[in-house]
Amino acid sequence: MLKYLVIQLADDAASYCHYENVSKGVQFISVENLKTAIRFGMVENLNIQFIYPKRALPDGYAEIIETIDHTKIIPCAAPNSKSADIVVCNSIEEIEGYNFDKEQIVILRIYRSEVNELPRIYDLLKGKCARLNVVLRDVEKFSEGDFEDYKSLLAQLGNKVTTSLIEGGNAQLNLLTDRLVLNTMNNCNAGDEVVAIMPNGKFYPCAGFYYDNPNEDFGDLMRGVQIKKRQLFKLSYAPICRHCDAYHCRRCAWLNRKTTLEVNTPSHEQCVVAHLERNESGRILSSIREACEYEPETTIPEIDYLDPFEKRKEW
Amino acid sequence: MSFEVAKKAIDYILDNENDSNFATESVIWDFIGGEPFLEIDLIEQITNYIKSELYRRNHHWFNSYRLNFTTNGINYDNPKVQQYIKDNYTHIGITITIDGTKRKHDLNRVYKNSSRGSYDDVVKNIPLYLSQFPGASTKVTISSEDIPYIKESVLHLFSLGINEVNINCVFEDVWKDGDELLFENQLIELADEIIDNKLYEGNVCSFYNENIGKPLSTTTSDQNWCGAGMMLSIDAQGNFYPCTRFAGYSLRNKKPIIIGNIRDGINNNLLRPFLSLTRSSQSTDECINCDYAYGCAWCQGENYDAADTPTIYQRATAICKMHKARVRANNYYWNKLYRKLELEGAEKPAEKSFDINC
Ligand code: SF4
Ligand code: SF4
Repeated sequence: MLKYLVIQLADDAASYCHYENVSKGVQFISVENLKTAIRFGMVENLNIQFIYPKRALPDGYAEIIETIDHTKIIPCAAPNSKSADIVVCNSIEEIEGYNFDKEQIVILRIYRSEVNELPRIYDLLKGKCARLNVVLRDVEKFSEGDFEDYKSLLAQLGNKVTTSLIEGGNAQLNLLTDRLVLNTMNNCNAGDEVVAIMPNGKFYPCAGFYYDNPNEDFGDLMRGVQIKKRQLFKLSYAPICRHCDAYHCRRCAWLNRKTTLEVNTPSHEQCVVAHLERNESGRILSSIREACEYEPETTIPEIDYLDPFEKRKEW
Repeated sequence: MSFEVAKKAIDYILDNENDSNFATESVIWDFIGGEPFLEIDLIEQITNYIKSELYRRNHHWFNSYRLNFTTNGINYDNPKVQQYIKDNYTHIGITITIDGTKRKHDLNRVYKNSSRGSYDDVVKNIPLYLSQFPGASTKVTISSEDIPYIKESVLHLFSLGINEVNINCVFEDVWKDGDELLFENQLIELADEIIDNKLYEGNVCSFYNENIGKPLSTTTSDQNWCGAGMMLSIDAQGNFYPCTRFAGYSLRNKKPIIIGNIRDGINNNLLRPFLSLTRSSQSTDECINCDYAYGCAWCQGENYDAADTPTIYQRATAICKMHKARVRANNYYWNKLYRKLELEGAEKPAEKSFDINC
């Protein structure tokens, strides 16, 4: 069942996730499409998220947007970024130079070569924003050596997160703290619970699919949402993920298709990265439980694999 | 395929002896064409290279390999082919495809630029074939226009001494309205012939299998049917496919799925969807809950080719009505056979279980 509608206000709106915005287009969504999209969200009872570009919106758009309860996702370089619920930073420099509000959620999109900066950034943002979501822009390129480095990095971050949580802080870092409170899958769910409307008035599972091929739309504002083979976006039709307990994993359908050609099948790299995070979350959970009362009844058992695909013969 | 390409492919496979993709106890080197025996010199060169490399590397497949051929049988008595068979006899498996009676066989199999069928040239080689491979089987594929010939063809193949006939309907959407009834009638008439003439003693037709046509649980029987992804298929340019059905020349509607090549090796991420396939993750609820599910086969390549989107996770169900017709005829066969044996006070024949080969 659809729950979220992502409305992309312009072709050059910020990517807030794994895909890159490769569009050279500068088209804003038309006023008519914007109004129809909002109406669609209202009648379908969907949570609406607006994705902004770096540029100012044309006159009149802000008023239309305010006609509905929504979440604003805005790049930090945009003139109205202070009004963002979620601020997107595309580099370490951007995040260092920005003054966040405490209520704001920060998305930091970085490459694997930059992850060593994370402990410093974590300290820098402590107490200054509501939450830090780190998005790895090149998960699919992780090598065996990168996995080792990432594991050590997560251990460093894990120590910081553990200390902060034991001290009563609310140190939300998607990579490590989401799994601490999850007992079921909490993935992106593009194409199943989430659908994006792009400036051309057409639906896609997420903007990444639009940038790959705008002709592969899943309906439009006239015809409605027509997701082909929708079941393949559901967890129950994901043969590897449905056996997995890296519940915080994005389970990115766009990356899946890019790396394996199937939206329901993740790459080895996506799984290993998520499991390194999962395992570090397990270590944090034990440390907190040793140190103090921790209410959520989460379990993160020790496992002997980093890629559930390797266990397929046991399913 | 040039020998150089074949050599590089073999080197890649043997170089990666410990890779999980090749960690099998044994290997089948399957030569498929066109008609493989037209290239017997190349095949011999490739085989010699395989054998010498397995020996040189002390590879665990040394002495644990098979050389498989599916041939139209026309060149079977060619001296070079015969010498090759002699040289590799303990490792070789050959299936000659013969479709049935002369009129049935010559319907589809005619020489290029002529209307002459190949039946006579194949059948003359059957005694030699059976003397070298007693118990050999054949494989027959049924399409819509073949239905009227099923009974006579299977009986004819039995009469030629081919005691095992593996036969299946094509997975493509070729079926016309009413085909299922014609098919069911053919299989019932064939059942009558087999049972009334005691042909079940010593002959097997894979259409009849006591287990098929029952519901399947997703918890205990959730395996994929097709073997795509568990084999490596290599084209003349050295591209790798999960099965030849994913090569461009086999597809009607979709782009090829190339999972690597002899230079770069296999991209394991592209193989993951194939190795993760289960029955439930590619079937609709109708198929998952079908009362006739057991034995309803699929071909991953046809699934992909016929799918609404470029996915291998969508079962093509054109075969549904034909499978159900087969199940009804199959029920008839076993009911009739057991009743007959009961009345005769005979023992049940030991059941030989067959799966449809795709
Ligand atoms: S499918 Fe989901 S996780 Fe992947 S890029 Fe799109 S929005 Fe992000
Ligand atoms: S770790 Fe892999 S199997 Fe688990 S949810 Fe993520 S993508 Fe799926």
